Amino acid sequence: MSRPWHWFAFRPERPTDAFASTPAFRADGAQLGFLATWRVGDGRKPVGAMGIDARAIDADGKPAWISLTLAPERIRVLFDDPAVCQAMRMVLAGPPVDVVSSLVRDPSTIGGALSATHAATPDGLADDPFARLFPRMLLRVDAGFVGTMPAPAGPSVQRYAGAPWPWDRF
Amino acid sequence: MITQRPAPGDQLIDFELPDHNGNQRRLSELVGGDPAVLQFYRGFWCPKDRAQFRGLVQLQEHVEVAYTRMISVSVDPPEVEAGFRAGIGARWTFLSDESRKLQAQLGLLETTDTVHRPYIPTVFTLFPDLKIHTAYNGYWFWGRPTNAELAADLRAITRAIRVDWDLHPLPVPRHKGEGETPG
Repeated sequence: MSRPWHWFAFRPERPTDAFASTPAFRADGAQLGFLATWRVGDGRKPVGAMGIDARAIDADGKPAWISLTLAPERIRVLFDDPAVCQAMRMVLAGPPVDVVSSLVRDPSTIGGALSATHAATPDGLADDPFARLFPRMLLRVDAGFVGTMPAPAGPSVQRYAGAPWPWDRF
Repeated sequence: MITQRPAPGDQLIDFELPDHNGNQRRLSELVGGDPAVLQFYRGFWCPKDRAQFRGLVQLQEHVEVAYTRMISVSVDPPEVEAGFRAGIGARWTFLSDESRKLQAQLGLLETTDTVHRPYIPTVFTLFPDLKIHTAYNGYWFWGRPTNAELAADLRAITRAIRVDWDLHPLPVPRHKGEGETPG
């Protein structure tokens, strides 16, 4: 993997230039929008896109439930904010999920987080620590978008060279 | 491969064990590119281990911001380790050597306890390539490292592996406009 992260965004329409995108549904089946991802270095950063751990995305991934928390556009929260650090600690202390990645808005600002499970139900996402910081959407996506990551080794709550936490090496 | 008890300067084997959630984890994956504390402990039932863990949980507050890793290993099954880990408030990875194969490979069977057949309480501080910096034999409690000793080891390892440990100051511009960009 040349880069530890991709660009990621939640969009009302399907972007035509993304290398992977998928419709995202609510639990009741209503479509809310699209999740899309772009490779870093394939061009300019898409407007409004944020960094996500590249391991979170897999074109061969199984269907998944996603807990997507997004900071409101006008709200700027630093990764170093104690509340963000505490959310990371709670992720490390809690039961593992198949995917967790913070979303990097800029070198020092968190834009939200994405957690996912390939289980048949979203029960494992009920207590998303990042949902205590930002508004959350519980989404269902089909196969072909969400990957699987090893659980974070812990106990680090720091980022490595600006990569999305929990990417864990320089 | 080392078959005798590992010592400082040895390269530890890159073993693979299930973690406290039952997922297979490789040591090198958990260590990543960072200095690490690798602890072998008897079990949740040992008062000396519980006393040691109280210190490690305190150390965790520093480790979590210091690009450093901690890994604990015992012969307890994963579900027992998960409960113990949650109970003490640890946020690092625990590994389960329920089969005791690794224990035999490392020569760390505590032969005096024929009931539990646990690990000899042992702590290694490791370089990222799994070379052992210091080994602590904690069969007697005072053989175990204090947090200050672990911090000194981790400082020495970090100093050795981080090329920017002694960050050189940027040159001070002699005149306005000079030297505003490094290099």
